[in-house]
Amino acid sequence: MGETIIRVATDVGGTFTDLVCFETDVATGAARIVTAKSDTTPPNFEQGVLNVLAKAGVDPASVDFLAHGTTVVINALTERKGVKVGLITTEGFRDTLEIARGNRPDFFNLHYQKPKPFVPRYLRRELPGRISYKGEELKPLDLSALPGIVADFQADGVQAVAISFLHSYADPAHEEAAMAELRRLWPDVSAVASHQITREWREYERTNTAVLSAYVQPIAERYLSRLAGGLKEKGLKGSPYIMQSNCGVDSLDSVSKIPITMVESGPASGFWGAAELGKLIGEPNVLALDIGGTTAKCSLIEDGEVKIKTDYWIERDRTSAGYPIMVPVVDLVEIGNGGGSIAWVDDFGKLHVGPQSAGAMPGPAAYGRGGTNATTTDANLRLGRINRDYFCGGEVVADMAAAETALAGVAEKLGVDTTEAARGIIRIANNNMVNALKLVSLNRGHDPRDFTLVAFGGGGAMHGVALGQELGVKKVVVPAGASVFSAWGMMMSDLRRDYFVTRLAELAPGSAAGIEAIFTETEERARGQFAAEGIAADKVRMLRYGKFRYQNQEHTTEVLIAEGAITDERLAEIQAAFHETYEREYTYRLSAPVEMVGIHLVASAEVGKLTMAQREATGTPADAALKGHRDVDYALEGIHRAAIYDGTKLEPGMAFAGPAIVEDPGTTVVIHPGNRVEIDGYGNIHIHL
Amino acid sequence: MTKLANDPITLEIIQNSLQAAADEMFAVMKKTAMSSIIYEVLDMGTGITDAKGALASSGAGIPAFIGVLDKAVKVIVAKYDRPGDIQPGDVFATNDPYYGGVTHLNDIVVAMPVFVGDTIIAWTTNIAHNSDVGGMAPGSLTGEATEIFQEGLRLPAIKIISKGEPIRSVMEIIKVNSRMPDVLEGDVWAAIASVRIGAKRLVEIAEKYGTATFQNAMASFLDFGEQVSLKALKDLPKGIFELSEEQDDGRIFNVKITISDDAFEVDLLDNPDQSPNPVNTSRDGVMVAAQMIFKSLTDPYSPANEGSFRPIRLLTREGSVFHAREPAPIGFYYEIELRVYDIMWRCLAPHMPERLASGHFASVCGTFIGGIHPDTGRQYTIIEPQLGGWGASRGGDGNSAIFCGFHGETYNCPAEINEARNGLYVDRMELNVAPGGEGRYRGGRGIVMDYRVRADNGFLTAGYTRSKFPPWALDGGNEGSPNYVEVIRKDGSRETFSFVSGLVTHTDDVIRVVTGNGGGIGDPKERDRSAVADDIRNGLITPDLAREVYGFTG
Repeated sequence: MGETIIRVATDVGGTFTDLVCFETDVATGAARIVTAKSDTTPPNFEQGVLNVLAKAGVDPASVDFLAHGTTVVINALTERKGVKVGLITTEGFRDTLEIARGNRPDFFNLHYQKPKPFVPRYLRRELPGRISYKGEELKPLDLSALPGIVADFQADGVQAVAISFLHSYADPAHEEAAMAELRRLWPDVSAVASHQITREWREYERTNTAVLSAYVQPIAERYLSRLAGGLKEKGLKGSPYIMQSNCGVDSLDSVSKIPITMVESGPASGFWGAAELGKLIGEPNVLALDIGGTTAKCSLIEDGEVKIKTDYWIERDRTSAGYPIMVPVVDLVEIGNGGGSIAWVDDFGKLHVGPQSAGAMPGPAAYGRGGTNATTTDANLRLGRINRDYFCGGEVVADMAAAETALAGVAEKLGVDTTEAARGIIRIANNNMVNALKLVSLNRGHDPRDFTLVAFGGGGAMHGVALGQELGVKKVVVPAGASVFSAWGMMMSDLRRDYFVTRLAELAPGSAAGIEAIFTETEERARGQFAAEGIAADKVRMLRYGKFRYQNQEHTTEVLIAEGAITDERLAEIQAAFHETYEREYTYRLSAPVEMVGIHLVASAEVGKLTMAQREATGTPADAALKGHRDVDYALEGIHRAAIYDGTKLEPGMAFAGPAIVEDPGTTVVIHPGNRVEIDGYGNIHIHL
Repeated sequence: MTKLANDPITLEIIQNSLQAAADEMFAVMKKTAMSSIIYEVLDMGTGITDAKGALASSGAGIPAFIGVLDKAVKVIVAKYDRPGDIQPGDVFATNDPYYGGVTHLNDIVVAMPVFVGDTIIAWTTNIAHNSDVGGMAPGSLTGEATEIFQEGLRLPAIKIISKGEPIRSVMEIIKVNSRMPDVLEGDVWAAIASVRIGAKRLVEIAEKYGTATFQNAMASFLDFGEQVSLKALKDLPKGIFELSEEQDDGRIFNVKITISDDAFEVDLLDNPDQSPNPVNTSRDGVMVAAQMIFKSLTDPYSPANEGSFRPIRLLTREGSVFHAREPAPIGFYYEIELRVYDIMWRCLAPHMPERLASGHFASVCGTFIGGIHPDTGRQYTIIEPQLGGWGASRGGDGNSAIFCGFHGETYNCPAEINEARNGLYVDRMELNVAPGGEGRYRGGRGIVMDYRVRADNGFLTAGYTRSKFPPWALDGGNEGSPNYVEVIRKDGSRETFSFVSGLVTHTDDVIRVVTGNGGGIGDPKERDRSAVADDIRNGLITPDLAREVYGFTG
């Protein structure tokens, strides 16, 4: 290779720290790819990152661009390992955090437990002062009680302070003043004000977001500074970029101030990867599916754009109201259905799969680590879909006796044989995933026939074709390196920030100037932030979305506004776009007046993004990758003799037909009878249904 | 495929798909509705019935609406019984409790037959509270009504869309009768969108698996619901349980519950005659209350369907408060339904200590505030149920500030949105720290919320129960505290209400909503000392109360 650029993505998970490195030849675009894995090293996570770099033989001093993803924030939240937080809020509203929204999702259950607030009542304190919903001051802020509050917080061992006042989305002046005074009184405390995170209304959601951000802030700050320090010491020239929940990366400094934005960064990088892959292969409409060990996640990408929303919750399901976090998060649906999901039969002979998972310990029965529950993976092994002699890339000897025993337990309760039980598990698991995929597609008015299913994660390729056939998608694509696809996505990410601002305006003549002003104002804020990081204004790409609704409605529909200043003349065009989007989703339109509730501005700039080079077809026939044949049970389609291909030997231009299986060290691709397969110039597997 | 068509896995997959369709119908309605009572409070429900109206699957929402939809469809099916009466693309509506509407006139049930070819395979249906359906008072609800005619426009199970085309005259009648015609129109269309999307999904499922398999899946799902209930019934204590309880308005309500191995019989025969005021309910409404408590006792975790409720026997007397005869007014039916729910709960609680906690605030506390928005000049109407305290159980303290047993996946309105949309100020929204509900485990806290009115000539209507007799306690715990609404005039004068209709309000009057703390359980002296100390530290009780009630000296 001649002159090269080295890009590295590292991803710290609960168990392993992963690395992917692309060394790209500047002249030819040809790339050398290295992957490595080492143990995660809590609490000194930076050590794991340095270890994996060393293991991969990557010298930090040679790295041009380093992207980093971490589960530190979500883990601190779900394991309740954050710090003691004090909340300062508007007089009369100290209990907002505890009152929450009052809902009881599990409504027949009279023993429902409402989620406990992260700050107890005695650490929730009030200050007088009011701003109106229009951003006008109704009552001046009175800071005279603040010194007493600070003294109490210090005496009670508070380590971080959240400030959240009513209507701060409309004017943050009171929050800014309280923050300045807090900093003066207590310079070294970790603190965040709600408007720094979001400029949207709903006081419970915004307050809870500020509280959870404060809760993880000292931990994330320590983590990030030690990471940066450790890498710098080893010679890294630049600063690492940190993966965010909105599918972009952000600078380390910026993330350190509001670490809560990392909360869903793991799934976000995979979905961004799917969007970028779609653009690369000329399929901008993508249904992205990520199947891991315990969950399956999916998201819809339209015209190459991921959908970013701010109604994200943790720990929310049919039995719990959960906790809202109002930050930009990729719009995804997650279900408890992965390779390790446990199959069980209820008292009435009904088969279920998940949401309980066998996890990594003991894992599926076939791991031979003492697991006695049948999992989706055990069923896949039993049916010959996973090669029992090449389990986990040949690293684990499949304990088929244990799998058989576990499946027999399910079969007995169902009154069928183990084959039927295994088929049932696959069908139920697939059905759970199909319903999740429908939630992001059909249920939002999209026709799956317009979409390509991109399946990744350890289990995506195993179920992708069955799901794609059920939904009727155009085709299924399994990306090259499907099991480290998230890390690849990280390297394709832009420096990206999503700004959501609540601002009411009627979509009527005379209102355009006000709408244009809020966009311009927010764009200036964005450019300022990028400029502070040395990125020129002309490198920043802006996308303007408006959030519209019919007057009197509450929920909004987001519509992309074409480039150019918003004028009264253009309102009709914007309104028409809203009517059209609305009708597609909800089957009807109204003649009622349309109003804008707020804006969503996307500002992004490329920072060392990877460019992929396409290889020519080699002309080698697919037979060169053929390992042999075996019987594979396709559940509904019965048993077929399938051709088995070695994934590492597939080359651009190869083509073959199903029934077939592609075996890769990280994943197994199940190709059904009648499917046609082609390998593209990037090594992706295209499966035509 | 045909060989597999009726295997248990396929049936399970169809049943899951029905649940997904009901959930999708719910999501569509929530996102498109125009009344905050629908999109924020989610005072709505969605469901799927079989061709005859037996409930097969229901979406999220509120438990009190789950048993309503099937009853409406059954009335429609019985009324339109001639060939050709029901065509593909038709949509029906009813809001009248004397015509399958169950609740009150504000709640419009919309139902759509699902056709495959010429055969009706199912109905998709939903119900939602509409902000104003006409009648003598804004918001249609008033304690002054003496006949149902005064409570709004009656839709006696009628067709509103014929073969996909709206019946314009009918739609115009519905719209013109409302004080908020655009909102009503928007909400009815949201309901139509919801049943249409549900119907589309069901057709897809039936076409994929075949109509016979689809119908088989529905039937077996209902049988499954019955099996679950019967199995759980076996674990309940058997016998006859009775309770007599005085209500805030002086009426005495009586209940007798007989539990046997295969039936749960609720006898409400011995109860007062129907009232000339709108504090009656239909028999169907009482059935819903019985279904709610039965479901919570037997199988709270899986979705409800008609089979789940088969073991229930209900005895009522026509012409009584629990089985009103046309044209009795029924506007505040929900408080009566809640009273029945609560007396059944209270009647059984001492006998099922592991299943039932002490009494909760047990009132919707429906609060209706209206007037002119001072910034926009437009009429606004707040229609909202309130949060309150739940009772302590043997497992721990009760929940604070959640909706009553009638509501479920329901959300309160954020102060920020309330102030913008309705043009009044929310001066505070906090936990109610009044005494009440003390015990070994204590009841959860109700709330105190102050609305400050910003314009003259607004109105307040409210109907709260458990205002005179607070939430009941168990095993020597203390009773909770009462629900009430207080109006504090600009000049400082105060009035307290439980029922009030059309009270005129003026600038700077404060409407204070106070909801009760739940009942306690066990002797307060036995409460864990550190829990008492926490309550003091958190400002929930005073040191004096801790000493006097809890005997706390630390």
